[in-house]
Amino acid sequence: MAITAKRREADASGHSDPQIAFAGVTLELGGKTIIENLSLGVQPGEFLCIVGASGCGKTTALRLAAGLYQPTSGRVNFDGQPMLQPRREIAIVFQDYGKALLPWRTAAGNVSLALEAGGMPAADRPARIEELLRTVGLPGHAGKYPAEMSGGMQQRLQIARCLAQEPKTLLMDEPFGALDAMTRQGLQDEVLALVAASGATVIFVTHDLDEAIYLGDRVIGLLPHPGRIGIELQVNLPRPRDQLSTREQPEFLRLRRQLFDFIKATEQ
Amino acid sequence: MSRKATIWLWRAASFAVAASFIALWQLIANLKLVSPVFLPGPDRAWASLMRGFSNGDLWSKLAGTLEHMVYGWLVASIAGIAIGAIIGSSKLMRTYVAPSLEFLRPLPVSAIIPVAIAMLGLTQAMALFVIAFGAIWPIMLATIHGFAAVEPRLYEVARSLQMSRLAVIFKIALPSASPDILAGMRLSVTVALILSVVCEILAGLDGLGHWVLLSARAFRSADLFAGVILLGITGYVTSVAMSMAEHRLLAWQAAQR
Repeated sequence: MAITAKRREADASGHSDPQIAFAGVTLELGGKTIIENLSLGVQPGEFLCIVGASGCGKTTALRLAAGLYQPTSGRVNFDGQPMLQPRREIAIVFQDYGKALLPWRTAAGNVSLALEAGGMPAADRPARIEELLRTVGLPGHAGKYPAEMSGGMQQRLQIARCLAQEPKTLLMDEPFGALDAMTRQGLQDEVLALVAASGATVIFVTHDLDEAIYLGDRVIGLLPHPGRIGIELQVNLPRPRDQLSTREQPEFLRLRRQLFDFIKATEQ
Repeated sequence: MSRKATIWLWRAASFAVAASFIALWQLIANLKLVSPVFLPGPDRAWASLMRGFSNGDLWSKLAGTLEHMVYGWLVASIAGIAIGAIIGSSKLMRTYVAPSLEFLRPLPVSAIIPVAIAMLGLTQAMALFVIAFGAIWPIMLATIHGFAAVEPRLYEVARSLQMSRLAVIFKIALPSASPDILAGMRLSVTVALILSVVCEILAGLDGLGHWVLLSARAFRSADLFAGVILLGITGYVTSVAMSMAEHRLLAWQAAQR
């Protein structure tokens, strides 16, 4: 709850330094403008969701935040420093978990990769790996290869590897897009709990509008061709959120209607 | 029928086929359809094989051939993986170097032998060069392919973990390319055996190739066949050993199927 308090404090003072700041960011790839003049600040501990029609540049925005792309003009800052390359404090959960995991390493080995990169001594790794696998609900699966796990388990494993980076910021690119509805809801709640426990800042890209409102403190809708901000909604739903009661609240339904109307308008 | 029983039945059948080939060979030899000067029966070939082992002649020849094969193959593997990794991990290199490789690759290695003899003489160094040159191609091309086919997403994971270049090669690229590399190494070991024999025959280097040549020239057909049989066994054993090593090293692949 300390995070919520910190966030509220930031809101009240109104000028806390953003952890991630886009300042007039434009990105051109292959002669096409993907993102145009995007300015956006994400506060420490904030859970920001980005939605939009396919091809609106939401994944691109996430890759800019990750340092995987450099803006053509404008700046992306992390903790006040320009993002010139990816950094370990920023973890990325990719949608295609099957491609983002090392098939030749077991679950434990995949988590270990991040610990190795962080320079943790070999002797300290097993205990930390076990702890992380337990955190994401995969105790007892340490010896399994990714191919022996279900999609939901593989995505949990990728999240465990990202947590092993001890990230200040977690970037999630449609992480549950390929999962079935039940698994997805379970993982939504788990991610909320993990984020609340770690205090990490999250940028969460999704095409599922309900998911965005359910998870986020703030939801941004992008307009396509080129990508730019079309709508910004503050989500003042109480936490912890609940799959049934949160989704029944009038405020949830109001935001949902507003967001659906926006997306419908962009698609015309 | 259980799976296990089926496997044993197949093994028994293939054994029966091999046994009937040997029986046919014995029959042809006994009937003297081919002169015994040129074709010994399996009994005589076997006796010669045993004699060669008991007096140590064949052991030293076998050791010579294995030495040529293994050294050439190791040099080819190390050089092939290193060069293949450099070419495969850079698109620029692939574009510039690949055409030259396509010119060199189909060149018959036998055409290189006179060049190698002219430059290095009838020496072990010549044999090492020729064997390594011939055996490098399957390994190098497989490595290039393996390195070029690494999932780009994994490189992004490596970037976000700020892994060093060396760590990326050893923890991401090499393991990812290992199925290709091992397949290339399995092909190469056969090439290395063939070229060992060729070099021994051409340069008179100590080994089974030389043994076979001398036996043929002296019309000692039983010895000739003993050498050929031993070469066959060598090829078979190395290929089985490679398969077993592959199976062990690539256990993770079994999970994907």
